[in-house]
Amino acid sequence: MDWNCKISDERLSEYLDGKLSPADASAFAVHTAGCADCAQLVARLGALVGQMRQLAEIEEPPQLIRNILDSTIGPRVQKEGWNKWFSWVPVLWQPRFAMGIITVAASLTIVIHSTGITPGKIKRADLSPANILRSANRQVHLTYARSAKFVNDLRVVYEIQSRLQPGPEPSPNSAPAPEPKQSQPDPSTPQQKSDKNPPRDRTQVHGGSMFAVLMPATFPASTIATLTRSPR
Amino acid sequence: MRRNTRRVYNICYRFTGNATDAQDLSQEVFLRIYRTLASYRPAYGAFPTWLTSVTRNLLVDHYRRTRHDRVTDSIDDAMPVLEEKHSQARTPDRLAEASELSAQLQRGLARLSPELREAVILRDLQGLEYNEIQAVLEVPEGTVKSRINRGRIELARVLEEMGVRPS
Repeated sequence: MDWNCKISDERLSEYLDGKLSPADASAFAVHTAGCADCAQLVARLGALVGQMRQLAEIEEPPQLIRNILDSTIGPRVQKEGWNKWFSWVPVLWQPRFAMGIITVAASLTIVIHSTGITPGKIKRADLSPANILRSANRQVHLTYARSAKFVNDLRVVYEIQSRLQPGPEPSPNSAPAPEPKQSQPDPSTPQQKSDKNPPRDRTQVHGGSMFAVLMPATFPASTIATLTRSPR
Repeated sequence: MRRNTRRVYNICYRFTGNATDAQDLSQEVFLRIYRTLASYRPAYGAFPTWLTSVTRNLLVDHYRRTRHDRVTDSIDDAMPVLEEKHSQARTPDRLAEASELSAQLQRGLARLSPELREAVILRDLQGLEYNEIQAVLEVPEGTVKSRINRGRIELARVLEEMGVRPS
């Protein structure tokens, strides 16, 4: 293409915007290098475009967005009186808040049920600090008592298990079992009848020293004998 | 919302050169968008392009409406108010210079024909690509290129007449 000033003039913006093909851009550059007028025009326009692109956007007036909202979705009604104070209530019906409330309610229900509180039976007097303290104290003691009973039941289970599965005789070096209280043997139990010389320590009849630790001193011998007799 | 509002306001302001008209037209653009939003289809193009297209159509309508009672020089009075306010927010001298250039540019734009003005605004002040401008103006690509080129050359000439030389 025979590049001349007219073509340069027409395609000046394409050159500045980088829209010319490499061949055309090269021809443009060659022509401009040898034409003072075109070079001057390129420089002026390049500077103008550069400055326009660097211009910051004009900030819109602050009331514009409000005016736009008023003209499209309508003016927002200013709530007065009680409505003003409770304007946050509809927010609670949004899914995320509703889910949160349901989760909290479910958690509270679980906690209340686990602590044994019956919401329907709560009286006004129950809400006084003294009663709350007393009730909490009672609840702590009950929990402790239940735990102690659970541990004792476990001991019984271990004891029974050990008697049904006789282990090796305790070694002489094993720790001596604590001396249990001398409970009065029940003469009516078959085991007591058959053993003329009952061992002093019941835990050493069948089991090891472990049972001496687990065995409650006050455990009735008749119960053990009965359970031991039962077939497996 | 704010980004689109600013975009529309800037196009309107650069085209009309008047802050009050720009506000009214921006409001009108969003009202039209709001009413015709149901008819918008992605096939028409990206939302910003559609928004710009609606803005441009309203500006052309506004230009035709006010053709007879327009006094071009009157914008010189309205301009500095907003530009000064804009520059007060950022006090350095450099920004003041940019603000002055912005005002001069605005005066230069006002002397262009609406076709050339809108092409230059969309390309150099809004940064739209040629194909986006083509979609907004609904004219062939050759016409877009020609308008942008003639608009820039004309603007440079007008600014030179005003004694403004871009550096």
